[in-house]
Amino acid sequence: MITLRNLEKFYEGGYGRSYVLRRINLEIQQGDFVTIMGPSGAGKSTLLSILGMLDSAWTGEFEFVGHEVHRMKPRERVELNKKYIGFVFQSYHLIDNLTVYENLDIPLSYRNVKSSERAALVCDTLDRFHIVGKRDLFPSQLSGGQQQLVAVARAVIANPKLILADEPTGNLHSSQGKEIMELFKKLNGEGVTIVQVTHSEANAAYGNRLVQLADGWIVK
Amino acid sequence: MHLGRDLWYGARGLWKAPGFSLVAVATLALGIGAATAIFSVADAVLLKPLPYLDANRLVVVWESNAAVARESTFAAPWNFREWQRQVRTLGAFAAIHDQHVNLTGGPNQAAVPEELLAERVSAGLFPLLGVNPTLGRAFRADEDRPGRSNFALLSHRLWLRRFAGLATIAGQSIRLDGAAYTVLGVLPAGFSALNSGVDLWLPLALDPADARAANLRYLEVIARLAPGAGIERANRDMETIGARLEAANPGLNKGWRPVLVPLRQEVAGHAEPALVALGAAVGFLLLMACANVANLLLVRGAARRKEIAIRTALGAGRGRIAAQLLSESVLLALAGGVLGTALARGGIALLARFGPANLPGLARAAVDGRVLLFALAVSAGAGLLFGLAPAIQALETNVNAMLTEGGRGGTAGRGGRGMRNALVVFEVALAVVVLIGGGLTMRSFVRLRAADPGFDPTGLLTFRLPLAGGRNAAPGRRAAFLQQVEERIAALPGVRGVGAVNALPLEGLGVGTTFAVADRPAPPPDQRPMALMRTASPAYFRAMGIPLLTGRAFGASDTAQAPPVVIVNRMLANRFWPGENPIGRRLAVDAIEGRVAEVVGVVADVKPEGLKGEDWPTVYNPYAQAPASTMAVVVRTGQEPRSLSEAVERQVHGLDAAQQVAEVRTMEDVLAGVLAEPRFNAALSGIFAQIAFVLAAVGIYGVISYDVSQRTHEMGIRAALGAEPAAVLRLILGQGARLAACGIALGMAAAFALTRLMANLLYQVKPTDAWTFAAVPLLLGAVALLASYIPSRRAMALDPMDALRHE
Repeated sequence: MITLRNLEKFYEGGYGRSYVLRRINLEIQQGDFVTIMGPSGAGKSTLLSILGMLDSAWTGEFEFVGHEVHRMKPRERVELNKKYIGFVFQSYHLIDNLTVYENLDIPLSYRNVKSSERAALVCDTLDRFHIVGKRDLFPSQLSGGQQQLVAVARAVIANPKLILADEPTGNLHSSQGKEIMELFKKLNGEGVTIVQVTHSEANAAYGNRLVQLADGWIVK
Repeated sequence: MHLGRDLWYGARGLWKAPGFSLVAVATLALGIGAATAIFSVADAVLLKPLPYLDANRLVVVWESNAAVARESTFAAPWNFREWQRQVRTLGAFAAIHDQHVNLTGGPNQAAVPEELLAERVSAGLFPLLGVNPTLGRAFRADEDRPGRSNFALLSHRLWLRRFAGLATIAGQSIRLDGAAYTVLGVLPAGFSALNSGVDLWLPLALDPADARAANLRYLEVIARLAPGAGIERANRDMETIGARLEAANPGLNKGWRPVLVPLRQEVAGHAEPALVALGAAVGFLLLMACANVANLLLVRGAARRKEIAIRTALGAGRGRIAAQLLSESVLLALAGGVLGTALARGGIALLARFGPANLPGLARAAVDGRVLLFALAVSAGAGLLFGLAPAIQALETNVNAMLTEGGRGGTAGRGGRGMRNALVVFEVALAVVVLIGGGLTMRSFVRLRAADPGFDPTGLLTFRLPLAGGRNAAPGRRAAFLQQVEERIAALPGVRGVGAVNALPLEGLGVGTTFAVADRPAPPPDQRPMALMRTASPAYFRAMGIPLLTGRAFGASDTAQAPPVVIVNRMLANRFWPGENPIGRRLAVDAIEGRVAEVVGVVADVKPEGLKGEDWPTVYNPYAQAPASTMAVVVRTGQEPRSLSEAVERQVHGLDAAQQVAEVRTMEDVLAGVLAEPRFNAALSGIFAQIAFVLAAVGIYGVISYDVSQRTHEMGIRAALGAEPAAVLRLILGQGARLAACGIALGMAAAFALTRLMANLLYQVKPTDAWTFAAVPLLLGAVALLASYIPSRRAMALDPMDALRHE
């Protein structure tokens, strides 16, 4: 599904190049549950952003479901993002001034799904994640666990092939974290590829592959 | 579909940020309201078609003579007739001549005599303008002939006021100047041709046999461009005909040429420069309001960068993000537009009430469809304009940095700050231009108000005494009657002096005359110098406070039978007898049948037309030797002049109950009328300058204040490293001062270039007036420092440990 060859990311400074990622070579297959680990500043989140098409300033080769991303224009990369990818963040990143329902509706609206279809999909998702009772609440009216549940629901609503999760349980207490990881496992079981960044060994245990980063290099 | 949802989300977001929304909407409302109000006035005065048939093809025909520095002078009847006969590029012509008439009776036995402003007009005027009476009919061609022209058309206002809207007025008889006239009809409400305030229209009835009148220039001429002819071609055509007429009648036309001016320009052209200047000022204010709101949105956008990053991560393209932000901006602008339009309604009402009376069409200014469309367009345009910078900033959001935990987000730093600073610099520059423009206008007004009119206007009551048509109409009777009036009023308690003149200062050039200095070779008639001609009673100069410089004033001995005498003004004396004593010299004054009169005195110059107008050589005749048909009496008193009004009228009516007393007012009123338009311009410029001042202060405060809040952590580090509060103060004040200095420098350069365009609006003030150019930067600099000082106090009061914990 994903192939990275000699992918590098760096910043030009007055003192020369400062590398964030170096010569990354990585294969991820459809259905993998990959965990990226490493100390702070290792480049984990940057790698996740590149996989999610949010960062286009890099060198090397990147193939994604048969598309040569390194040859694509930014607009085309956005289309790939919309078609295949869902994001989950440590800080949930729900939009504060939208209700739960509207937060779920947002990714669909960006994919030009018809409004009647969208309503059906949002209702199904609310039902599937058992958050029908929260549909008109704003994020500030939810607990951290509930917010992350909504964030995961939002990530999957457009039926992505790949979920990118950046420290998805970092702000949750252990029982809520476990609940979210179980959810990921279930989604992975349904065929969704998952790439997570985490510091937690327990969370890593949910995956089937581990990628260890240090100072921008893959070390394991 | 997306737009509707974007607008809905935008509206809800704005509702949830009431402080931001209120400030933004109020700021925009000020800008849009001011722009809309001025547009409505400009639209009514300059843009809307005049209420005549195909008004854009109507022109006014004046005569000009460069050799004697006469521009846009009235036309001679002989020329008027020849133009109609010869010109092909002008279709129809009509001439107008205004005069005062005394209405002494009508069908409802109205007994109180009243002086009215009338226009004698060609019968063709009404078809030319496409105006029909609402009652009765207009003049027929055969009613516009000498000896058969005692017909009248009434203004709607006069019909209601004097004849109680009598439905059967057409065909009835009224008495004007002692003669019977048949009313033919009533013209539509608000109708006027070239002059406002006219109550009666009478046939012009030009007499081709009257050789003397044919050679005077006293007609205002309106014409319509012939089908297919433009004004340039018509002007060329008239130039050729003018040359032909000069050859045919050199005595009348030596050096004279007809000149066409579009009717719109003639009626409203004088207001155009001021309205353009005011329009520019409100345009700048609107831009300032936009810059302020853009800055607010940038600050808000900085807080929303995370939301934008999330939306991007969820698949929103740049177009969608920009569309959403712009739709919010337009929503804000529309809200500002609605409130602004309401403000404009109030503003227009105030403008119509306090605006100068000579601004034609001002009464027609209203929030109509065109103005609403303008407000809508301005609002939408403003929304796009001030939404642009925040949208650009949002599109530059570093999604990765924003979404990474602990990431500070690159756009919070230099990029956004640079844009905010640039906006404030731009705003200060605009404020400098508006303030300098306002300052110049106000200084000019102060100078104008302090200008010496040549007489002392305080403590003067004046009224007009129309003598034509009544018992005192006979020239022999006029002087005696006027003398009696003066004597009776002079005897009133509190009265210090009484005099009379045929035309008050400031109110127009009035009657002029050519003349020649006797005992010198007389120039040919067409090269004789011109002077204004006034007729004054003996006590006029003392009553008006016009200094007698040398010689004597008129006296009781200057009777009709006595040798003719004149008093001249200083300008005439200096021009014709420089360094010599003019007393005892003699002038041949053509307007009094060329009689030779001895100069017995020289008086100071008075302003004949407005305060800005130039001085003119003037010849004063004693009333007994040149009795005019209407006189303005001036009464000097030590008390409030208006308190004498009733007593004065009683004295006149005590002599003759039927004698009219018209236009009772003070000379201060006359002066106020002259100052109305510059006062109006100065007041508006002053208001706009104040708004600009506040907007600039708010803009600087907003940016510095936000910057301080963003730099709390930095301030903590500085404090922990030993920075004294004074150093923090210097840092922040320095930032405000730098922004202000850049804006002021830019604004000064722009003002230097732009204020030159205002030169014609200014009086005794240069467009680069040093005082204004020095005061405005100082004032704005002080405000910038004050606006920076308030947030800097907050920074100085920070606890370093709190600040270091601040993220």
